[in-house]
Amino acid sequence: MTARLYNYDLDVDCYRVRLVASVVGLPLELVGLDVFPGHDHLTDAMLALNPARRLPVLVDGDLVLTQVPAILWHVASQAGAALVPAAPAAMLEWLSFAAGDLACATAARNASMLGQGDPVAPRAAARAALRRLDDHMVRAGIAGQGYVAGDTLTLADLALFPAFALSRDFGVDHDEFAALRLWARRVRTVPGFITMPGIPDYH
Amino acid sequence: MTPDIWLPLALTTAIETGTSAGTAIDGTEIAVWRDVAGRVHTWEDRCPHRGMKLSFGFVRGDHIACLYHGWQYDAAGQCRYIPAHPDLEVPKSICVKTWPVAEAGGMVWVWLGAGALVPAPDLPQAVALRSLYLDCPLSRVVALLEGGSPLGGAAQVDGAVARVGALVIGLQSVAPGRSALHITVAGAPTEAELTTLTHKAEALRRVAERVEAAA
Ligand code: FES
Repeated sequence: MTARLYNYDLDVDCYRVRLVASVVGLPLELVGLDVFPGHDHLTDAMLALNPARRLPVLVDGDLVLTQVPAILWHVASQAGAALVPAAPAAMLEWLSFAAGDLACATAARNASMLGQGDPVAPRAAARAALRRLDDHMVRAGIAGQGYVAGDTLTLADLALFPAFALSRDFGVDHDEFAALRLWARRVRTVPGFITMPGIPDYH
Repeated sequence: MTPDIWLPLALTTAIETGTSAGTAIDGTEIAVWRDVAGRVHTWEDRCPHRGMKLSFGFVRGDHIACLYHGWQYDAAGQCRYIPAHPDLEVPKSICVKTWPVAEAGGMVWVWLGAGALVPAPDLPQAVALRSLYLDCPLSRVVALLEGGSPLGGAAQVDGAVARVGALVIGLQSVAPGRSALHITVAGAPTEAELTTLTHKAEALRRVAERVEAAA
């Protein structure tokens, strides 16, 4: 049975799920919701699925997943283990970073583009997190590794990519992140790569 | 006033063939891009059409295309193609300001000065370590380097270049309160040595930004 993704095209976390599904070649049944301004995610039926009032939600049989790392993991593992290395600790570190330390990037973007809250603090936090990621990729590059958790693309790269690719939307330019520019360019070349509104499709 | 010297603004390895990046020198925004023939260009980072940053654009052969409406500029900065008017002979007046550019010692250099051009810096080939961006004025970083910093002993500073041990560092004043170091290593450093240097570079950034925050 095809897993069902409750999806909003402009939501960054929904994009993360579509991106991973596209790269591993797993078909998803997309249920399109209008979050803004429709608030489709706040209907009783949706709140029963996810009381946390946010997307994405993935339903696969009896399984209901609302946490992005768990959804990404599930999607990737349904289609073989290509994006999940045998020793997954380093990947988990950066997958957690994407969902934790970098969550402020989504907050900064929503504040800048939708006027949801003050963008100053989340923007500074997101810039600091991107700087840490850039420092990491500098060292990875010296070790000859092109991706965040080694020399092959993993779930973590795909989870991290949108925050960097969309950072200009919340006023953080790519100028200072030379190592991330090279890495993002590499991520874009993976077969099955897709974009979302706000990420130009030119490479 | 921009001094009549060559100024570093990127490591050559950071500007891959067919890509563009934005940067600034004392607030002057500059697009750095490399065409498919491998030649690097330093232009004003502003599309003559509506002012979009050209560094957001994409390289097509020896042209760069603006992200906004796709106007294409040739290697001399001349607009050659306007997608909305494909048959138009584009007026000569539509062109981007360009600056002389050079590559030396693993860095990209730009000449913003008004005076007569001098030869590009004569630096030996070096291994790129990283570009390090700091939230403090270049003068503060230079003072730290000259006084002895986590990167090593007292650096010798000559124009836009600092030397300490095997390190040759390009000095960039990005904007008031923001600076960049383009750090290269002479000789044949090992992977372990380079990794150690990245930690030292981050330590320098911490010290510089801490001093700046306290000032
Ligand atoms: S702003 Fe560059 S083409 Fe319109």
